[in-house]
Amino acid sequence: MPLDYPVHERTLPNGLRVVVSPDPSVPNVTVNIWVGVGSRHESAGRTGFAHLFEHLMFQGSRNVASGEHFEALMAQGGRLNATTWFDRTNYFETVPKGALELALWLEADRHGHLLHAVNQENLDNQRDVVKEEKRQRYDNQPYGNALIDVYAAVFPEGHPYHHSTIGSMEDLDAASVEDVHAFFQRHYAPDNTVLTLCGDVAPEDGFALVERYFGPIAPRLEPRRGPVDALGPLTEPVRVERREDVPNDRLHVAFRLPVDETEEFAAAGLALDALGGLASSRLVRRLVRQEQTALGVHATSWGFVDGVSLGFLVADIANDADADEVERVLLEELERFAVEGPTEAEMDAALAQAERSWLSMLASQEERADAMSHYALLHGDPSLVNTHLDRLRAVTPEQVRLAAATWLRPESRAVVAYRAEVETEEVA
Amino acid sequence: MSTETVARPEVQPPGPWAFPMPDESVTDNGIRVLSYAVPGQYVISLRLVVPLSLADEPVDREGVAAMTARLLDEGTAEHSSEEFAELMERAGMALGASVTDGALSVDVDVPQRFLPVALGLLRKALTEPAFPEDEVRRILRSRLAEIEQERASAPHRGARELTATLWSPTERASRPSAGTSESIGAMTRDDVVAFHRAHVGPRGATLVVAGDLTDVDVPAVVESGLGGWSNPGHVVASPVVAPEPAGGGPRLVLVDRPGSVQSEISVAVPGPDRSVTTGWAPYPVLSFIVGGSPSARVDAVLREDKGYTYGIRSAFRPRARGGSFVTAGSVRADATVDALKLLVEILGKAREGFSEKEIRAGIDFVVQTAPGRYATADAVADEASALAIEGLPLDFQTRTLSTMRELDNARLTTAYTEVVTGEWVIVVVGDAEALKEGVEGLGFGKMTVVPN
Repeated sequence: MPLDYPVHERTLPNGLRVVVSPDPSVPNVTVNIWVGVGSRHESAGRTGFAHLFEHLMFQGSRNVASGEHFEALMAQGGRLNATTWFDRTNYFETVPKGALELALWLEADRHGHLLHAVNQENLDNQRDVVKEEKRQRYDNQPYGNALIDVYAAVFPEGHPYHHSTIGSMEDLDAASVEDVHAFFQRHYAPDNTVLTLCGDVAPEDGFALVERYFGPIAPRLEPRRGPVDALGPLTEPVRVERREDVPNDRLHVAFRLPVDETEEFAAAGLALDALGGLASSRLVRRLVRQEQTALGVHATSWGFVDGVSLGFLVADIANDADADEVERVLLEELERFAVEGPTEAEMDAALAQAERSWLSMLASQEERADAMSHYALLHGDPSLVNTHLDRLRAVTPEQVRLAAATWLRPESRAVVAYRAEVETEEVA
Repeated sequence: MSTETVARPEVQPPGPWAFPMPDESVTDNGIRVLSYAVPGQYVISLRLVVPLSLADEPVDREGVAAMTARLLDEGTAEHSSEEFAELMERAGMALGASVTDGALSVDVDVPQRFLPVALGLLRKALTEPAFPEDEVRRILRSRLAEIEQERASAPHRGARELTATLWSPTERASRPSAGTSESIGAMTRDDVVAFHRAHVGPRGATLVVAGDLTDVDVPAVVESGLGGWSNPGHVVASPVVAPEPAGGGPRLVLVDRPGSVQSEISVAVPGPDRSVTTGWAPYPVLSFIVGGSPSARVDAVLREDKGYTYGIRSAFRPRARGGSFVTAGSVRADATVDALKLLVEILGKAREGFSEKEIRAGIDFVVQTAPGRYATADAVADEASALAIEGLPLDFQTRTLSTMRELDNARLTTAYTEVVTGEWVIVVVGDAEALKEGVEGLGFGKMTVVPN
């Protein structure tokens, strides 16, 4: 049965798509903006730019001083941030309803008029901050660069998903103020943006306020490329071996998956859950509980829009076990799954867990707004949030088996193996 | 591009808000039930807390409380560990059990339609865990691996060294709550069984139920789920007391992590818990002003001016009893000495007081984010169970926020200076070879270098 979160949608004359979802249960409103630019739009030699740019959006605009965006909204009880991902960049704040207009004014100022404030000093400072972000989240963490290896192994050179959102520091060093200007002109425009209001605001009031602050931003229609050509599964295995100072061996076994919001992607996601995404998944049963050769097994599927998605299993190898043996068992289970498909219990568990996590996600006004922006920007219809679970429940066990047999074949895997350096004896 | 300007709008003041109050009931076996109706929240959050003191663990088996918690759902009298996992997952249920200094907590999130099933499974996990030998060995082994994972992560390694340096070595709080490799290595199934028998029972327990409770008769559902839980062997937990600080003046520990591209810095002092007699209200505001945002005092310099860090945060961290004031984050390796010097200066200078603008922003941030911070069932349930563990009244948030609105510079400065005496405990996790001389030269107290 579909959920019934209200969804009202309107497009302003300048092309901005506005979604309003009233929810008076809390006297707050979330403003959630998705811009149709992510790391997939970056070209060679300019990786990491979408993310660096996101940082610059907090450094002032025509009528807003550097840092004022954060400061002004937090001082009114706002909670805010921004994130960059392969497919998009988003900006969001949840504010008491009396501060909604201030939030819209601040957002409109930077989304319409950022370039008044961008200068070399801001760029240099935020480049340093981003470098520290990379060191903190990737370089100074055990296995921190593993996913960067996964992207590069699964997607070919030059493909939109071949490189990570954090990008290359050399590329960031090469970025100039002129590049920032060009990037803004090219991607930040009302017709490439979705703005969702979720919270204590009536639809007509919400549309009128957004019109008031964003209406004056001139349309800047640029031809936007469609999705790149679809990729099929890898035709032969890819392997990356790393020997590093990590506490235990870890295997990442990754696959290309079908494009997001298709039946086939949903089926592949359920297959990964049944294999390794649940406490009762078959790889967890066998490797973690029975053979105890793995400390843990996890599965992830990320839907993307540019012709392909990504799925991966991660196994932490017990210290007295052999990573190659774990991989052998994993491949054996993949082959068995492709023949037998999921059990009734695995389908039940995967769907019930998907139900809880989807409902928990939508329980938060912030995340509900984010989901609506997501569906509006990337899939054309914000009301898809209400029917996601129905689409998932419509997937048959046979579709799950077929998706695994097509996309999760042993020969279509990319393995990124992190192995612990041979230990030197430590004196206690 | 348009040049039209729309005038900056005024902000309308928010209306009053109060933390929700529950319906209260008591089950026949004495569990206090707090039921929070949060309409529109379709996933129900259950939080069961059983009072517990980690001081009650046998001294050579520290971590047994945490291991007992982790093993509750790994097999029961009726079901193997695998079967139990499957039963929970088919009911859309997520169960997590953990210990803090004041309680064993079992957290369950479940879609409303599965609530009765979830309560039944929760009772089995609490009353009849079988602690199968195999599962015990597996969970102990994964704790040992987790200790190594934590050692490899600079923030975890720093946090561990900080508690070891902040609290007296005689205090349980100075050692990891989930145990050390020695105590876990010595542990057996018998230890877990004995701990469970003596310390997990309904006596003094509180169950929080939060979510959309339309058409749910909470007292009846809870009675039929948990009413049968009894444990005649359950002993009353020792009262939890604030840990004794290690004392001995300002000191600095450098944890050697060769080749680190960043240094993880922590600067701390013992601090209050939420039962502090002078009131908790100043502390969240102080956290915000000093290190709660990119424009707070710490990051205004270290991030936005210097670009040394992705972000450093300060926070008063209450335990059930006692607490700490900790400022922590990562900085570029070759900026460590300057970053640490600036950080200690900023924290010290705050003893001189705060501007009206800072105070206004801090109060408004904490007070006005409250409705949003407590909008979801899980957030309400988390806070309600924390209040139960800490023995605080159910209107604690509402009263604290009301006092907070009246805070002034004198009150905030007093609250800060009472805690921030200048006797810092500093931990730096980084490349000792490169940092040793510079860090010691800052004169921030007696320095020791320890291996990672």
